[in-house]
Amino acid sequence: MTTTLEIHDLSIGYSKRAPLFKQINARLNGQKVTGLLGPNGIGKSTLLKTLAGLMPPLKGSIQPAVTGKTDNLCAFVPSQPPRAAHFSVRDTVSTGRYRYTNWLGIEDQEGKHMVSEAMELTGISHLADRNSAGLSDGEFQRVAIARALIQDTPLILLDEPTAFLDIANKRAMGLLLRKLAAEENKGILFSTHDLSLAMEHCDLFWIMTPDGVLHQGTPAEMEQNGTLKRLL
Amino acid sequence: MKKLWLLLLLLLLIVADVFLGSVRLPAAEVWSALLSGESSDFVSKIIWNFRVPKMVTALLAGMALSVCGVQMQTLFRNPLADPYVLGISSGAGLGVAFFVMGTSALGTYTPFPWLSDLGTAAFAWIGALAVMLLIVAASKRLKSNMTLLVLGIMIGSAGSALIGLIQYFSDAPALKSYVLWTMGSLGNVTGNRLLIMSGLCLTGLLISVFNIKDLNVLLMGEQYARSLGIKLSWVRNKIFVATTLLAGSVTAFCGPIGFIGIAVPHISRMIFNNANHRIMIPASALTGSCMMILADIISQLPGSQSVLPVNTVAALMGIPVIIYVIFKNRAVEL
Repeated sequence: MTTTLEIHDLSIGYSKRAPLFKQINARLNGQKVTGLLGPNGIGKSTLLKTLAGLMPPLKGSIQPAVTGKTDNLCAFVPSQPPRAAHFSVRDTVSTGRYRYTNWLGIEDQEGKHMVSEAMELTGISHLADRNSAGLSDGEFQRVAIARALIQDTPLILLDEPTAFLDIANKRAMGLLLRKLAAEENKGILFSTHDLSLAMEHCDLFWIMTPDGVLHQGTPAEMEQNGTLKRLL
Repeated sequence: MKKLWLLLLLLLLIVADVFLGSVRLPAAEVWSALLSGESSDFVSKIIWNFRVPKMVTALLAGMALSVCGVQMQTLFRNPLADPYVLGISSGAGLGVAFFVMGTSALGTYTPFPWLSDLGTAAFAWIGALAVMLLIVAASKRLKSNMTLLVLGIMIGSAGSALIGLIQYFSDAPALKSYVLWTMGSLGNVTGNRLLIMSGLCLTGLLISVFNIKDLNVLLMGEQYARSLGIKLSWVRNKIFVATTLLAGSVTAFCGPIGFIGIAVPHISRMIFNNANHRIMIPASALTGSCMMILADIISQLPGSQSVLPVNTVAALMGIPVIIYVIFKNRAVEL
């Protein structure tokens, strides 16, 4: 069963008098990789944070539809997550299970197994005992994704996950996001400025254009109807 | 393993603290006073009415200030934060200033002179509590911990300014007793006062243990904490309650003791190389009590007749340690 997010007449921003983006109607699909595209400052991060529940919507509703849970829907991965120094990678990932660990934050057997699995899946098992402050940007981005994965949410939202990565890591990130959608049934929404990466790995596009419209469709559709050209 | 080593060091220091003091006592007599009670009245009085309570006070104060310091550094993700960063010491100071100097500044008489020791503690505690309530009230409206930090510093400055005003109008003896309070002392906490302080500090330590899980997440940023469904204002309030019980109580009974609260977390991070609060909280409690008892031993100047203010000793002893930590390690990084 997949969880889908129905977004109806949503306004986002910091002030009711001057919303950043208005009347967003969209559907976020589970098990699909959706790329969020648009020029700087149009409100991609704000939209992601609003969907993740980190900012209140100014207007409108965000409802889980079709099936599934009503809370703990989205995990959020910022573009440069703050790191805790002298904190091992394993312990960092484990904090993602906040809702499920005991009062001291200690994992049971099942939890430990889930942490190991998430590290395996994101390819950071060999870093488990390293100090997370000593990792490269690419490595820590994977730690943050493992931490999001383990929150057991149907959807994962990522703000420019590839912004600070080199070419090889960008490609690896795209493949990882696709793997999460296909194998772990996660719905993925990530913002990016890398069009070729998005074309290669996304099932769907959300494109925010300066005229205040959020266009949805497959990459092929977007190319055909000329919406992609408007980004250039 | 390292904790065991620290525990042994602590036991050693505890014993040394009871055996050494400004009055030289033969070791055999101290033993018999401690174990069998068969010693002269004089020795047994010094041991049981003075040295043992002072040692327990140092133990508690060291633990309380260090555990409090860890929580402040984590909450504000700032290596310079200490137990007093929210203005608790100036709150307590203001309370004491009212009590000690208020009467002379206003030209009236102290209403309850026989209460003066306990009165000092009570007023200090009320001052600290008032500051905490102010911060909790503001915490609901302030989203960011950094804004809260600025507010804390402002409250601290306002308190200091008011204290300055009271000092300006008060007479010399009252001023002196206030200044003596600010220098800190572990020696005035005996009997019922020690019981009250122990109760408050142990409650604070217990709450701190229950904060461990949230502190670990807070170390990774407020946004991440909120994305996990944590209610920030609730977590902050739990931390503030622990802070007031710990730092507020120590300040009330011993005066504002600086340095320990900011330095010990860094020293524990250097020793244990692990910022997980499951390690950091007990480690800081251990390291902190070692430091405080050592400071107490030094302040007695064993063998000599004079005694130094414990605040001065703690600072002079610890500042070189901190500078060493900064240069040798990058342990201050959070």
